[in-house]
Amino acid sequence: MMWRFGLADSTFEPLLTSHWALAIALCLPLVLGGLAAVWPPKRMWVVALACAPLLTSGLLLLVDFTQIGLLRWQGEVLGVSIGLRLNGVSILLLLLTQWLGAASALYTPGLLNVSPPERLARWLWPLMGVVVSALSLVWLATDLITLYLALELMGLAAVGMLLLSGKTPALFASMRYLLLTLVGSLAYLLGVALLLGYWGQVDLAGLAQVVEPGPVTWVAAALIGGGLALKAALFPLHAWLSPVHASAWTPVSALHAGLVVKASLFVLLQLWSILLPDTFWAPRLVAWMGMLAIIWGGLIAWRAESLKTLVASSTVAQLGYLMVVFPLLLGPNVGPLAKALAWEGFWLQLMGHALAKAAMFLAAGNLILATGETTLKGLAGCSRKLPLSLLVFGIASVTLMGLPPSAGFTAKWLLLQAMVISQQWWAVAALLIGTLLTAAYVFRFFRYSFMETAPRHHYQPLSPGMDIIALCLALAAFVLGLLAHFPLELLHGGSL
Amino acid sequence: MIASLDVIEVLLALCLMTTALLCLFDRHLVRACCCFGVFTLSMALAWLTLGAPWLAIAEAIIGALLTVPCFFYALGIFPASSSALPRYDHFKEPLTRGMTRTLLALAWCVMVGTVIRFVLPAMVYSPLEHPLLFVGVVIVATAMGAFAWHRHLLRRLLAFNVMGSGVFLLLAGMAGTSVQGQALITIGLVVAWLGSLLSALLIRTLYLREGPAALLGASEPQESKQ
Repeated sequence: MMWRFGLADSTFEPLLTSHWALAIALCLPLVLGGLAAVWPPKRMWVVALACAPLLTSGLLLLVDFTQIGLLRWQGEVLGVSIGLRLNGVSILLLLLTQWLGAASALYTPGLLNVSPPERLARWLWPLMGVVVSALSLVWLATDLITLYLALELMGLAAVGMLLLSGKTPALFASMRYLLLTLVGSLAYLLGVALLLGYWGQVDLAGLAQVVEPGPVTWVAAALIGGGLALKAALFPLHAWLSPVHASAWTPVSALHAGLVVKASLFVLLQLWSILLPDTFWAPRLVAWMGMLAIIWGGLIAWRAESLKTLVASSTVAQLGYLMVVFPLLLGPNVGPLAKALAWEGFWLQLMGHALAKAAMFLAAGNLILATGETTLKGLAGCSRKLPLSLLVFGIASVTLMGLPPSAGFTAKWLLLQAMVISQQWWAVAALLIGTLLTAAYVFRFFRYSFMETAPRHHYQPLSPGMDIIALCLALAAFVLGLLAHFPLELLHGGSL
Repeated sequence: MIASLDVIEVLLALCLMTTALLCLFDRHLVRACCCFGVFTLSMALAWLTLGAPWLAIAEAIIGALLTVPCFFYALGIFPASSSALPRYDHFKEPLTRGMTRTLLALAWCVMVGTVIRFVLPAMVYSPLEHPLLFVGVVIVATAMGAFAWHRHLLRRLLAFNVMGSGVFLLLAGMAGTSVQGQALITIGLVVAWLGSLLSALLIRTLYLREGPAALLGASEPQESKQ
């Protein structure tokens, strides 16, 4: 499992361009956020121009990675050694973060132009910059201290972004989220304290060499797992997720549901694969919770009154798919083929869901902004005036349902193959039930939207760019399934 | 064994324990916040005795100078405003829910206690050898229980802060005040301060908009006031 997370030694030193690209990828979002707070951009092309260097840095890192393989950086700040690494998974997630962040940033001026002016609106930009920077750091970091710093920065900035819409329910939901995420990080910190006290290591590669199964490791893994599960909204701890999204701004929701939630899941998987390799019960427990999450999230989304609740509850169910894979990634008695397939399927599902969920939130936001209605009943008949937004919603839900040729289909195909090989029939059943439930809640919304008898509303015109960004994200999730061989090759690149 | 006890450490531990309990369970909010101020100052002294002067300075600045004013701002005392929060929290949790939460906190205390047995084997023979570590376990467990018991947002915030300090004590007790440990604690202090600042702003805004009911974190959907 170690090589999968790129914790081995690298063969070559990073190139000079990689150093610069890394610095830009980590620092530029902060700088851009600060600049945008002082001079808030009003037009989309300004944002596009500002994001261009950031996207270039990601592509440069991709090129360097494909040429020389695993990249590692070691440094020391005030006597604390800090390690970064760039392997296949990190580069994919870094690219995803940069493109999703850029898409959310591009969408924002259009949103701020049509919504009533809000006093706190300019704070959105620096917070978004902090979230993108912190996410990039989470994908790259290889020691527990940097991971803690990045997770905390990301969590606090995410809370700040979610409450910016200024509505009272948003403030209540953010307050609850803030307290829970802070307590979750204390659990993580206590787990780290146990590891540091017993093994004396905070570096992941060093920790992997000395750690042995035992009560200390189990309790540390349980504390870290519990804290991160709370931050990642994994099933029994998911209750804060829907209210938080119900009244937040759409680009914020897109970034949060697409990536912020998954960063905690990524750290959880990475740390458990070090602390609990080949344990039987812990991954099983996560998988059972995942099955319940698929069913519960699907049912809640199916009965949802408002569109945002539908989309947010579907996140709970889709995270369930990722939880179900845990025994295949971490458990004992799994063949190498099943393990490799599960590994590929896991990341493809994560990326496909991030893109599709972001597209879905943006499309839902467009529908809500244009009609001024938030409930499914209020949105009845919106197909007459807003066909494009509805089309985007449809393409995104194709990925969520897992119909071919989307990323969701390819990912589920890989996962099903792995589950059949290792004879995990419960997981197969959960996957199939989840697909049916997804179809049920998506088509429930479509039934409302095509109602011809609904009264005609006054529609607020939106700038065409807002629909086009959502369409691009939805198409990206769609095409990722067709071109899946490219990211999958990168995932294997770490094994060389 | 008793002879080898460091008197200063024991006194500090007792001081930490009392102020933490008062801070967590006093229904008079201003008094509870003042107790938190004394608690952070004792924490700073504890860092000094543990041989981490920089951490003591950080704790004194971030804890006493920056975090405590956040609580007074949330209470509406600083800067003085006409709409201060009610001084008392009169809310009573139904007993059955409280019992389950207390049991969970106790189970947690037992779990951490057993693990510390493995990390520091010496603790088994003389649990009072490391009074600060012992107090850390108790503080974290009580604060966890208080966080689960209370509904008042400010009291939950206080409970989080006390729990954070308890976790830092545990960290320092188990891992020593190595550079890594100090780095983790400093990050934790800054995060706790930022979280408290954000929470204080939120509590104040919610109170001004929704009145005293908001302080119990009413999660039922309400009409949004633009």
